[in-house]
Amino acid sequence: MKSFWKTSLIVCVIASFALVGGIVPTAKAAPKVIKIGVIYPLTGPAAAAGRELRAGAELAAKICNNVMPGIDMPMAKNAGIKALGGAKIKLIFKDHQGNPQLGADLAKQLIKDDHVVGILGCYYSSVTKTVSAVCERYGVPMINGSSTSPALTKRGFKWFWRTTPHDKYFTEDLFKFLVGLTQGKVKGVKPVPKSDLEPIVSACENTEWGSHVSGLIKTMAKKYHFKLAKSILYAAKAPDLSAEVQSLIEPKPGTMLFASYISDAILMVKTLKSMKAHPKIIWGQDAGFEKPEFRSTLKDNIVGVLTRTVFIPSIAKVKKVAGEVNALYKKKTGHDLGGASARSFTGLQAWVAILEKAGSTNPKAIQKAANTIMIPGEYLVVPWKGIKFSTSGDEIGQNVLGSGMIGQYQKDASGNIVLQAVYPFELATAKMIYPFKGF
Amino acid sequence: MEVIRNIFDLSDIPRKDLTVFGIFSLFLLIFPLIPHSSFAMATMIEFLMFSLYGMGWNTIGGYGGQVDLGKAQYAGIGAFTTAVMLIHWNIPFWISAPVGMIFAIIWSFAIGYPLFRMRGHYFAIATIATSLVLLDVFQSWNFVGAAKGLELPLKSMPSLLYLQFRSDTYYYYILLFLFFFGFFYINWFRKSRLGFQLRAIKDNEEVARSLGINVHWCKIKTYAIATSFVAVVGSFHACYNFNIDPEDIMSLDLSILIAMMAMVGGAGSLWGPIIGAAVLIPLKSYLGSWLGGKEGLAGLDLVIYALIIMIIAAFEPRGIWGIVEKARKRGKI
Repeated sequence: MKSFWKTSLIVCVIASFALVGGIVPTAKAAPKVIKIGVIYPLTGPAAAAGRELRAGAELAAKICNNVMPGIDMPMAKNAGIKALGGAKIKLIFKDHQGNPQLGADLAKQLIKDDHVVGILGCYYSSVTKTVSAVCERYGVPMINGSSTSPALTKRGFKWFWRTTPHDKYFTEDLFKFLVGLTQGKVKGVKPVPKSDLEPIVSACENTEWGSHVSGLIKTMAKKYHFKLAKSILYAAKAPDLSAEVQSLIEPKPGTMLFASYISDAILMVKTLKSMKAHPKIIWGQDAGFEKPEFRSTLKDNIVGVLTRTVFIPSIAKVKKVAGEVNALYKKKTGHDLGGASARSFTGLQAWVAILEKAGSTNPKAIQKAANTIMIPGEYLVVPWKGIKFSTSGDEIGQNVLGSGMIGQYQKDASGNIVLQAVYPFELATAKMIYPFKGF
Repeated sequence: MEVIRNIFDLSDIPRKDLTVFGIFSLFLLIFPLIPHSSFAMATMIEFLMFSLYGMGWNTIGGYGGQVDLGKAQYAGIGAFTTAVMLIHWNIPFWISAPVGMIFAIIWSFAIGYPLFRMRGHYFAIATIATSLVLLDVFQSWNFVGAAKGLELPLKSMPSLLYLQFRSDTYYYYILLFLFFFGFFYINWFRKSRLGFQLRAIKDNEEVARSLGINVHWCKIKTYAIATSFVAVVGSFHACYNFNIDPEDIMSLDLSILIAMMAMVGGAGSLWGPIIGAAVLIPLKSYLGSWLGGKEGLAGLDLVIYALIIMIIAAFEPRGIWGIVEKARKRGKI
């Protein structure tokens, strides 16, 4: 018995390190397969977004790997990457749990152990920052489809490209929209006195992304001459937001702006309701405000709430390919494409197009292809003019052809809550509900 | 001379334990020479970091019995000092890390003085509160990058001076040096006058006071020692990651994880933090890596991880080392 315990103890300690020691062999890449590492938050506060992001990337891989005549985009016409002899895309998913250090470790694992050609990710700007730093160190290409902190493309990185527009553009869109409201440009709304929209208050979660948005709101409020009464940062994991909401409603705001992930976005709206907040406009900077769970949890309470987005299902009316892909996505997941899934789909689509252009998995060839690629807007599900990355100036790697939208939650004829586009004004799909009817 | 002798004196430790530690040390020394994956190397680096964090926590939390749940604030002070000094004044790690340690110690004195007037749960809650307040300060302080944090400028690699390497092996050996340094320091500490005083305080504070021990001052001094360990690892973290932000390095999650290393391994023992980190870190990393990305299994890794911790805590509240000691008493080891 003595020896049993002794052996058990030694075996336990050594085994845990032997495990770490990589005695478990690393799988060799199968021929004709191109491995792309995908790092998203599959658990934690943004798990709901993670599921969407994953589904979007998986759908894009499926379309790339199979011939799909019903989809009007180049990658649906061949099975696999034509320029690489029909090699199939294989996605290796990793869960960063919202932890930048873990994200960096996973990126190293994907690059050095799984030998991926490149990386797609990571949603959280803070994680994208550490993962892209690892990619830069190892000279491995990374495409970011869904992190919107402007700082990410201001670092002069050579191996980092971002397809999504960033928060500077999105926040400016919001203020252009508010100005449009005062000028009567919004469909279904007469000119609104500016004083009705003031003062503005904002509450943003306090990590990399939210703090950037908060700074941009301050800058843009000054630029467009709106009175910003209060601007606070809060912890996204906070179990209670009563103090924050109390502070926000105290100056009797006309417009309330938020940058929140999903759990805090839901908590924020519930707290606004319990404290009887009654602003004329509530606007969320995408993320939590656009997730299916936001809609399904809060139901009628969000009718009239605005959110920045890059995809609204109703644009299928004017963009055929968006409708085709959305139908497939809905079949797969049971709900429409959203801002997160549409952008992860587009991120992987960009990967496929770059690999087709490079005709090689050599990092240098991929880098060259990424720097010269031009994907026309007609092949994208998102309403952008296309994808073309900046190679000079202070935003290296940023897609210069992207743009945002503002949607409003409204009830359709069947009583379902759907997003309708209200900005850009020319793409409006419904009359705007103004003012917000209250909770 | 006596101090040096005490540092390396392991004569009170059973031979069997020393044999296991010897084999383990040998394994640590040759690990980079064994074929390994890069994720394994990253996990080993994390193991060494958390061992050191745990060793620091173990002084005040284990030997002193003062449950501190705010250690991440000191990791933040160390990390941001290193980052700020490098960015603004191009000062290398080997100077900025001791400076960060000094700042952390000063801060520990400032908050330790009032905090150690409290006991038990009140003390634990107060440490959480101070840590969260400092996190809020850093998140809105532009000089340290506020919530965005700081990105360290890249130097020509490899640079031992600035602790910037392309290969993780260099980081590993530097950390391994700190690990052994920390281990022998704790070995000295537990047999020092302060170590004995602290254990007397843990057993019965009133009796310790009646014996003439300055209880308050003993706790503050030990808290500063714990702090210096955590601050140095924080500095290392900044160089290793090239990027720090307050939410990452100063979070409550990190504070709890630091405490857990010693608690699960065995608080108040020399081996506890090492065993805790050796079990928890690979478990967390590999469960996350294997199950975290699997469709339909998202979150299962965290469930298993939590279950294992709960089972250990329920089976033996003194942690894994407690289980070993129990078995030893029964003559099974």
